[in-house]
Amino acid sequence: MTEKKTSRARATRLNGKATAGEATLEEEAVVKPKRRARKTDSPTPKPRRTKAKAAQPEAPPAEEVIDPSLRQQLQKEIEDLIGRLRSLNPGYAPPPFSPQNLIDLLQENKDRIPPGLQFGILEKLKGTLGEDVFDVDTWKGMWFVLNSSLQYQADVVKRRMTGEYETDEWGMDREVIDAVLPFAQFLYKTYWRVEMRGLENIPDTGRALLVANHSGQLPFDGMMLATGVLLDHPVQRITRTLYATWFPTLPLISDLFVKCGQVLANEDNGIRLLEQEELVAVFPEGYKGVGKLFKDRYQLARFGRGGFVRMALKAKAPIIPVSIVGAEETYISIHKSNFMAKLTGFPYFPISPTFPLMGLLGLIPLPTKWYIDIGTPIPMDTHKANAANNMMLVSQLTDQVRNVVQEMVLERLSNRRSVFWG
Amino acid sequence: MTDKRVVVVTGVGGYWGARVATQLSASHPDWQVLGLDENAPSDELAGVEFIQTSLHNPALVDFFKEEQVDTVCHVAFDESARATEATFDTNVMGTMKLLGTCAEAGVRKVVLKSSMMVYGAHPQNSAFLREDSPLQGNKAYGYIRDWVEIEAFGNGFRRQSPETIVTILRFAHIVGQKADTPMTRFLREEEAMVLLGFDPIMQIIHEEDVIGAIGHAAQHDVPGVFNVAAPGAMPLWRIMGLAGKLTAPILHVVAFAAVSFLGPRYAPIELNYLRYRCVGDLQKMRDELQFTPHYTAEEALREFASQYKSRRYMGEENARHQEETLLRDTMERRRRIREEQAAAAAPVKAKRRAAKTPRARRTRESVLNPTLAVVEESSND
Repeated sequence: MTEKKTSRARATRLNGKATAGEATLEEEAVVKPKRRARKTDSPTPKPRRTKAKAAQPEAPPAEEVIDPSLRQQLQKEIEDLIGRLRSLNPGYAPPPFSPQNLIDLLQENKDRIPPGLQFGILEKLKGTLGEDVFDVDTWKGMWFVLNSSLQYQADVVKRRMTGEYETDEWGMDREVIDAVLPFAQFLYKTYWRVEMRGLENIPDTGRALLVANHSGQLPFDGMMLATGVLLDHPVQRITRTLYATWFPTLPLISDLFVKCGQVLANEDNGIRLLEQEELVAVFPEGYKGVGKLFKDRYQLARFGRGGFVRMALKAKAPIIPVSIVGAEETYISIHKSNFMAKLTGFPYFPISPTFPLMGLLGLIPLPTKWYIDIGTPIPMDTHKANAANNMMLVSQLTDQVRNVVQEMVLERLSNRRSVFWG
Repeated sequence: MTDKRVVVVTGVGGYWGARVATQLSASHPDWQVLGLDENAPSDELAGVEFIQTSLHNPALVDFFKEEQVDTVCHVAFDESARATEATFDTNVMGTMKLLGTCAEAGVRKVVLKSSMMVYGAHPQNSAFLREDSPLQGNKAYGYIRDWVEIEAFGNGFRRQSPETIVTILRFAHIVGQKADTPMTRFLREEEAMVLLGFDPIMQIIHEEDVIGAIGHAAQHDVPGVFNVAAPGAMPLWRIMGLAGKLTAPILHVVAFAAVSFLGPRYAPIELNYLRYRCVGDLQKMRDELQFTPHYTAEEALREFASQYKSRRYMGEENARHQEETLLRDTMERRRRIREEQAAAAAPVKAKRRAAKTPRARRTRESVLNPTLAVVEESSND
């Protein structure tokens, strides 16, 4: 232990690149965080650094001239130490750094240090606290990080202001998707803990039409489906969700929808997207589905007028049934108020135990457990060329797809034990 | 005299008429271009014979017969937002009279200049409006209303005299340094009003391409209605950014109330067009009209910005950078025009070249996003 201490002290004195690097190797778990803290996390380098020092107290500085032979000897010593450490614990990789781990480590080792030394460490800490503030490197690091992040932000703003960015002809903007993704990811991974199965049914390239059940008062299900495909599909495809005509009239939301690659639901748009080999998602239940009362949950509403089947037939795109379970319970709609719907201009106005009683707080969805199942594709290219005009066939196919989705939903429900834990 | 093809251009007293007339006479020395207007043009128009007459003149039929007019390019149009009796008289009544005259005098071809605004901006609009979409132009502004009526006349005329070739060109928002259109008025305003939270996709066309398209329609016989716009539809905020404007977003409720209270002169473009998408499908322009605009939307806007961008906001470095991009745009455009001319001259070479351009585009796009490339590719065809 003492040998280690002195060598560390010498290493810091020496200030040679190689030795410093090895010193960190040797005490990776403790020293590395300190260096990282200094470089990246400029606002809070002080406590971390001091704690790191508490674990490995420095020997008092010795003013001596160092000759090259001593340096070599030290290097050898350190290498020797590393070898011994490695042999003690082969295959050891330091755990990922987090402040909590560091504190835990200190807590564990606190009692091993004799009381006298503890006081000494405290004294040392007091001294080094100020040292950091006057250290030019700290300020340099802080300056560098701040500067580069500021410059990046300014650059983004400037680019957006001068129109130096690209959108496709539908208005999709990859930068906006990247900006929204963390929030969607939080909902997907942490809040609703979405489990997605059957992603292999979505082709890597080429057109396909996802047909899903709609639920949950607010169209979060579309968002989660698209997020899941973007995050977990091997090709990370962008899903073009078709949305209802009410949304374009809303400020900000309309803009956000378009920038995230979503498109107004109509047959022309759908066919055009499919012909551009896009992955399109539709929720044929529409308002009737999304605004379901809680007592009607998981009872699929009518699948529109079969527009999605005509789209698929005309574009010869396979229909992929998708069931989304868990979204129904995010809001508990007891009643639909026609009066309020007329007053606000909403397509429907749900009354839930929390909304509108608790105002905006009532809009926070419940953290249910979600399952998204992607079924096997139903090919559409076996039908005749003008099959889309055959109303009988279209309505038949519509019912068929609806039944498939309903069955998938019921199957998942029968396997589910808890709304919140799955 | 008789062997020359006689082309009549209306409204030569205005900017569009004058430009179209001079362009036609310059590019077709074998044509005789007659310019009609009530008021004499301010400058002498090279190669254009000016005839001072209004479109309401009853003797116009005899004049057309006498001169054996072959083609009429009707570009006389008053684009003022406020609907007055005078603008209605020139726009709608003038067109009606002219079409009647053409039918009576047996004119072979009529080219009408219209606007894509006739579709109207509505929340339920298809993303790409085809030419057969219903004309539901928002009726608040005089010029849009007039256009819708003119189009109705044009359609009626087509049915009544099927032997006449009628080409109606619906142009996207026109930008250019010299033209005075709703879009340029909008972009030149000190603070252009946009709606908070709305960023509709818009199409742009450069003024030179407008003149080029009218000339193209006058030269080739392509009956029908066509959307004409530069490739590259883009969001409004990006348009403003490229044109060097700062956006001043206003809550849409407030903006609509303000315009209805203060009158349309505070909003050169009707607010619905700043709210909802009104984008035309350009498939027919490419396939049937076979017209390719020389300016892309970005180039047109950058060129527009070079004059109107407020330099006081810009550092020296940015100004130089802007100049550089502008020259590069010009180089690129001239290269494209040369290629096109070469393609027209040698059809065999053309195919190879035509195949080359989209491929270059695809590689650039595919770096950004593979799915985008697919979109680009299929929309280019």
